[in-house]
Amino acid sequence: MSPQPNVPPAFELSISSEGDIVTARRTVRDAALKLGFSQTDVARIVTAASELARNVFRYAGSGVMRWRKVENGNRIAIELQFIDNGPGIEDVELALAEGYSTGGGLGLGLAGAKRLSDEFDIRSRIGEGTTITLRKWRRDEFQRTQSSRRGA
Amino acid sequence: MNSNQSNVSVVKIREILLVSMPSDPDDSTVAALQENVLAAMERFGAKGLIFDISSVETLDSYFARVISETAQMIALMGGRTIIVGMQPAVAVTATQMGLTLNDIETALTVDRALDRCAGNKEFPDAR
Repeated sequence: MSPQPNVPPAFELSISSEGDIVTARRTVRDAALKLGFSQTDVARIVTAASELARNVFRYAGSGVMRWRKVENGNRIAIELQFIDNGPGIEDVELALAEGYSTGGGLGLGLAGAKRLSDEFDIRSRIGEGTTITLRKWRRDEFQRTQSSRRGA
Repeated sequence: MNSNQSNVSVVKIREILLVSMPSDPDDSTVAALQENVLAAMERFGAKGLIFDISSVETLDSYFARVISETAQMIALMGGRTIIVGMQPAVAVTATQMGLTLNDIETALTVDRALDRCAGNKEFPDAR
């Protein structure tokens, strides 16, 4: 992922129960709304968070979700990170393939979360755990209008 | 857990069950929904089911799978399922993820779903 000139400290939520998946969704919703994301982007971000929080709980039993705002010039993103010390993903390519599932789901969890994100990174080691980091950049209509005016 | 956000309401209208989903149910609530809905279909002798998801803000792959499976089970029991009121942001997200609610009928509003049932000979009493 691209370097970040301005990185505030991350907030953290522990994921160790089914209820924490709901808490993760609510937390991410509040954070994304506060950062000014559109309704549709909030739905995308929260849905990706729901998939990844559930994966942490189902496959690793427990882990944490971290979130923070990332700024690059005028651009703002939300960054979410899901960290567990679970069994790890044997074949990341395969896990990202649509329809692949070991958990009895639709096999769309990881692939879906990736599709909903602008940047998506998986680091996994067998027996050590998995860290997934995603970013969604805010699309700023106001800024776009301003810069096209300036260009005209 | 806030009970307002986890309760599923099931109401019988003529021979149709209207099931309203809470905005942010946990996985257990979603899992229990399937069993409760199938039991209610049998208990009320319902001929169809309208799933009102207008409050639902997050439809992830798990929730979509349960809805899709429930509809298949209801079809096996001889019933019809109509999904109603999906929010635009939820529809955009589901499509981008590749979630398909296979072969499930949808309607924009509960009224339209009820009208459709009333106009169908499968639902002679739902006028």
